[in-house]
Amino acid sequence: MHVNWKHLAIGLVILPVAVLFATWIGFFNVGASTGHWKVTEWFLHFAMRSAVRTYALTVKVPDELPRYAIQPAAGHFARGCAICHGAPGEPRSPAVLAMLPQPPDLVGKVGEWTDAELFRIVQHGVRFTGMPAWPTQQRDDEVWAMVAFLRELPMMDQARWRDLAYGSSEPPTGQTRGLERALADCTRCHGTDGLGRSPATPVLASQRETYLFESLRAYAAGHRQSGVMGISVTAVDPALLADLARHFSALPAPATSTQPDRARIARADEIARRGIPERDVPACLGCHGRPDRNPIYPELSGQPAKYIATQLELFREEKRGGTRFAHLMRNAAKNLSDEDIAALAAYFAQMSRAAATGTP
Amino acid sequence: MAIAGGFIWLTVIGLLVHATRHERTPIDERIASRLIFWGGAAIPSLLLFLLLGYALWLMPGLRPFARAGEANGLRIEVTGEQFWWRVAYHPADGGVPILSANEIRLPVGERVEFLLKSTDVIHSFWIPALGGKMDMIPGRVNRLSLLATKPGTYRGPCAEYCGTSHALMTFTAVAMQPAAFGEWLAVRANPSPGASLPGRDIFLRNGCGACHRVAGTQAEGGVGPDLSHMGSRGTIGAGVLPTDDEAVRSFIAHPHLIKPGSKMPDFNMLPQQDIAEIASWLKGLE
Repeated sequence: MHVNWKHLAIGLVILPVAVLFATWIGFFNVGASTGHWKVTEWFLHFAMRSAVRTYALTVKVPDELPRYAIQPAAGHFARGCAICHGAPGEPRSPAVLAMLPQPPDLVGKVGEWTDAELFRIVQHGVRFTGMPAWPTQQRDDEVWAMVAFLRELPMMDQARWRDLAYGSSEPPTGQTRGLERALADCTRCHGTDGLGRSPATPVLASQRETYLFESLRAYAAGHRQSGVMGISVTAVDPALLADLARHFSALPAPATSTQPDRARIARADEIARRGIPERDVPACLGCHGRPDRNPIYPELSGQPAKYIATQLELFREEKRGGTRFAHLMRNAAKNLSDEDIAALAAYFAQMSRAAATGTP
Repeated sequence: MAIAGGFIWLTVIGLLVHATRHERTPIDERIASRLIFWGGAAIPSLLLFLLLGYALWLMPGLRPFARAGEANGLRIEVTGEQFWWRVAYHPADGGVPILSANEIRLPVGERVEFLLKSTDVIHSFWIPALGGKMDMIPGRVNRLSLLATKPGTYRGPCAEYCGTSHALMTFTAVAMQPAAFGEWLAVRANPSPGASLPGRDIFLRNGCGACHRVAGTQAEGGVGPDLSHMGSRGTIGAGVLPTDDEAVRSFIAHPHLIKPGSKMPDFNMLPQQDIAEIASWLKGLE
């Protein structure tokens, strides 16, 4: 038969109608039990790998992965990722293995991707696969911590994994209830002493109770963005948040060590006491570090430098929400330079609680 | 000047009338080119040159601050900021400057030297009733000398577009009798005797002092306007609203609605009662 333009045109019109009809009568099986057709599987995988590779071109990779933050990433992995991807010494449930596509065991897969590609997958998830996006798009720092963790995962033995993900807490078994259970979950990353198990984790011990409570509520309501804390807080009965805040607030304050970098501390001290009026940076100690200040303002002394620096950067980029007072900090951090942030982080990290409560 | 002007006017009109009335007889080409050379080029150049020399000779008189010892020595430093005026009175004896904002007072009959600065963009300082404009340029100190001859309250706008709320950036200049001015300045040198109302503690508790200074309290911030004697200033927000309770309360709660682009964050998350207490304390700082 001779095919001319007319036949082709009619075919083009009929084809979508035929596909639509086939779909309507239920021709395409959506069951997961039989797997994809080989060609479909090849195509979907090809599309996914290509898209990740291309979109990863826009990712700005940090000079060094934040290895210091792999502990909270492991803690988050245990709650959010291990159920599908497994973890050292934790086999997956047969239900997960029957997913289509089957979530990969990451030990063998992580090495196939670059850092930027891993970031892209963790940050945005993968469509049609059940891989969710990171719960917030504002926290690149958390995603990079997860990438750093994934890089270590293939070499990780069971003991190290358990220590990172659970610390001294037992994996939640469902036996314990209420506050005890919630606390066990907090202490996986924050430590039973409330000092935090990594430099990326804030010190909760002796933090002001109102601030802790309001921050937990802000996480629960999504006003303070964090994939890690958002998931953790929404798992807790809201009625327990006040008890958690009270518990950590009552723990003893951390011991701090003095910093050798005198020049940097002096510069930060000037900013903390007087601000930088010509750049509209208010004085930190106008709000922080005095007992007679609004208790919704956090105590900064003794917080890890890395944690303070990350929060200031997030505020500066307007990616950090929080309590209903958080916009004050977005305003305050707007014009801080990288050096200012590094100096202030070192300054508050080495400040002892007693010094902080002195007159500014 | 009026006589000279009248004379010139009469001469020009006379020439015009003469030209229209006079018989039209063509004049010799040589005389014509000589007339054009002398009347059109040589004489005007000479006159303008002489006038320029005279003007240059007069110029130092416009800048009397250059002559030491003649001015009374008071210098007022005014810094333009988006969108308000930072004011510092530097006393003649070089003592501690007296800080204020959005209001300038000056003694009648005494030349005052203004030091004009800016920290962000170009603003322009202008009290139309007292003198010309002077730009405030980041990184420079421009000087301006003003002499108020009559007591009164004058308005000063920002005369160079500086951003969203440029039109809402004004100040009040008050020219006072020298004795009254001296008294006024002496009062400003000390903290306001404003009572320690609950508003003060709420102000400090919420960290307002991180940006604002109120003399005699822990509030020593240098970012925003000095509020030490805010109650004695006629307006708030650099001439936007009168200093009354309601205006102060609204400004604290949502400065952006009153002054778009203001760098002050909203404080409407504070309880209404707290805002009212702060407002009444600030208003009482006279």
